[in-house]
Amino acid sequence: METIDISRLKSGEVNLGTSIMAVQFRDGVVVGADSRTTTGSYIANRVTDKLTHVHDRIYCCRSGSAADTQAIADYVHYYLQLYTQTHGERPPVHTAASVFERFCYENKDALSAGIIVAGWDKEAGPSVYNIPLGGGLFRQPWAIGGSGSTYVYGYCDATYRDGWGRDETVEFVKNTLALAMSRDGSSGGVIRMCVITEDSVERLFVPGNELPKFWEGKEVLGMPLTKKDGNEPVPMAVEP
Amino acid sequence: MSIMQYNGGSVIAMVGKDCVAIASDLRLGNQSLGISSNFEKIFAMTERTYVGLPGLATDVTTLHEQLRYRLNMYTIKEERTMEPETFIHLVSSTLYEKRWGPYFIEPVLAGMQKTPSGAFRPFVASTDLIGCINFAKDFVVAGTASEKLFGVAEGLWEPDLEPEDLFETISQTLLNAVDRDAYSGWGAVVHVITKDKVVKRTLKGRMD
Repeated sequence: METIDISRLKSGEVNLGTSIMAVQFRDGVVVGADSRTTTGSYIANRVTDKLTHVHDRIYCCRSGSAADTQAIADYVHYYLQLYTQTHGERPPVHTAASVFERFCYENKDALSAGIIVAGWDKEAGPSVYNIPLGGGLFRQPWAIGGSGSTYVYGYCDATYRDGWGRDETVEFVKNTLALAMSRDGSSGGVIRMCVITEDSVERLFVPGNELPKFWEGKEVLGMPLTKKDGNEPVPMAVEP
Repeated sequence: MSIMQYNGGSVIAMVGKDCVAIASDLRLGNQSLGISSNFEKIFAMTERTYVGLPGLATDVTTLHEQLRYRLNMYTIKEERTMEPETFIHLVSSTLYEKRWGPYFIEPVLAGMQKTPSGAFRPFVASTDLIGCINFAKDFVVAGTASEKLFGVAEGLWEPDLEPEDLFETISQTLLNAVDRDAYSGWGAVVHVITKDKVVKRTLKGRMD
């Protein structure tokens, strides 16, 4: 079996090394993302908006190649507008997710795109779909993605509970993303979230200085063993 | 990925009026994963000579110990403290010895050089990873954010800054440059060196 080459970005290509997530709750979904776009180690955009509208109540979170995910999202947005006109009603989230999945799977060799689709529709209510690199489609109560997600699987598994309301879900997303942004060099900046319900889409913004703070490593370990500053050179007993 | 980018980290040194400053971030990472926000890269070699060692973390430790050993041998034999201008030549020869299998470090030095009249003049210098010395009059930079440091320093630096102003200038230069680099940051430290004291301050910066 051949292995897929994950590092498929061409040299100079812009990367959404990222932390993204979406969580379903009673009345809707909360989608969230960091705001860092990198070209290698240079932060090309520190205030990116990775939460992309594809329909009135359907948003997607983009990770991987910025160009690939923008192109795919543009096409899905166009397709869903056409759907709305031809069917005379809003598309279900599952339909949007399936269009993404079709694209990502059929072009899996050429693309580098990890997408989370989430929204509200009247058939299923709130739903979250995760479409990782190979183009598989997975419906989940909560989904995380991007390079920063690897550091927060444990936190999410330990913290998530069924049956939350809006505020608890927003807290969960905010804390998870803050942790991922802290550890992952390719994630950072600000937290952007959207709360999507039947009635509205509410955009939330958490600036860098208001991020929830966790242990930042300035505690006991790593301190010098004695009170004296270990850096001071000891003077030699020499004649002046 | 380049070996110089593996652990991340950046250092800058600037010249002021009868003072120098040297500053660095505190990040140690494993590629994109941040591991420590407490990894000091600036070392006091003598009372008035400070060296910053950004690059591969294992070589930071090894090179520091190599330089400390050679400096101590000099001090014992010469029975005097090594001056910064001599020290940068020591760094250069230590690095060039490993020309075909180098230390992955680009050292940055800041110190107060004793003049024949007994006064002190500010001194900064840096070398590349194989020991080519750059004697700068204004500032020197190194590390994963070096290009960003050049840009901000070129904009903010001016000659004859007093110690307090030099502190502000070097701090802003470092903080804003590392905020555009994914592999530098996670805290910062600044040393301001004058002829009679060294003040070390820790900066509050972005932790992403």
